[in-house]
Amino acid sequence: MGSHAHTPAPEVPEQKPGYYEIMETAVRELLVEKKVISAGEIRQMLEVMDTRTPALGSKIVARAWVDPDFRQRLVANGRKTLEELGIDFFENTQLIVLENTDKVHNLIVCTLCSCYPREILGLPPDWYKLKPYRARAVKEPRAVLAEFGTVIPDNVEVRVSDSTAMIRYLVLPQRPPGIEDFTEEQLAPLVTRDAMIGVVKPKVPSAKEKSQ
Amino acid sequence: MNQTEDLIKQLPTELGGLEAGPIQRVEHEYAPWEKRCHALANILDIHKIVNTEEKRRGIASLGGELVGKLTYYERWIVAFANILFQKQILTPDELARKMQEVEARYPGTASLGS
Repeated sequence: MGSHAHTPAPEVPEQKPGYYEIMETAVRELLVEKKVISAGEIRQMLEVMDTRTPALGSKIVARAWVDPDFRQRLVANGRKTLEELGIDFFENTQLIVLENTDKVHNLIVCTLCSCYPREILGLPPDWYKLKPYRARAVKEPRAVLAEFGTVIPDNVEVRVSDSTAMIRYLVLPQRPPGIEDFTEEQLAPLVTRDAMIGVVKPKVPSAKEKSQ
Repeated sequence: MNQTEDLIKQLPTELGGLEAGPIQRVEHEYAPWEKRCHALANILDIHKIVNTEEKRRGIASLGGELVGKLTYYERWIVAFANILFQKQILTPDELARKMQEVEARYPGTASLGS
């Protein structure tokens, strides 16, 4: 092994961080010095946050598609049902699971800020937090959906749910037709993050995926 | 209605129903400091120091100009600093001194105070 094989990465990046990053570091370090918080708590929270990805939401939706009893419990009480699976929620937040049907298509938004079911989808995409989506989703949802390439027939109601600090939503999309023999594991990858926000429908599997 | 009336009648965070342009389907990988900022928010909430509603109000009270110009987590950290000042957990002097100290870890760069 050459002498450079295990050169440790420098602890600080060479480029000076920006003003707000310096502010973040300063606020955090002051709070740790004053024992308001601990550095370990931040580290652990970062680890927890890394486990929260849309893959978790996809598994939940796929399970609801194959397990009617789970689906019923999920829709009746989202938080309690997911806590039974070991998913932690922030205090006082409720999770409402919105079922798409032949008659209703659900869409979620947070007009005030960026409330989102982070426990099961992770951090939201930038467009969810930007003005055009937040301003228009509640006023002209069909036009917004069309910009995502999603056209909802006129005889299907588009229902928009505006999230709050206390109430978060998850869209439970409809299972694509023609894949009745798919297992939970085959279904999960079809459930994209955006399908659980309600801006698109689940992916339709390719002929190759269907034949596997 | 003139522009200042708009600023009085609607908080900068109240966007629902406003006119706006096309959806910008943009995303970025969160930078490490943005994730740390989010983790800090969660920890402050768990310790009942800053809850989500206080955070939202803290951002609204930055005013329309700052809300419009800062990025998402820039708004958060400035709002947190203000809330922590109001709650007398931090002082502006302490923060200014600590920011200089943090900056000094990167030698050969211009001072924040300039």
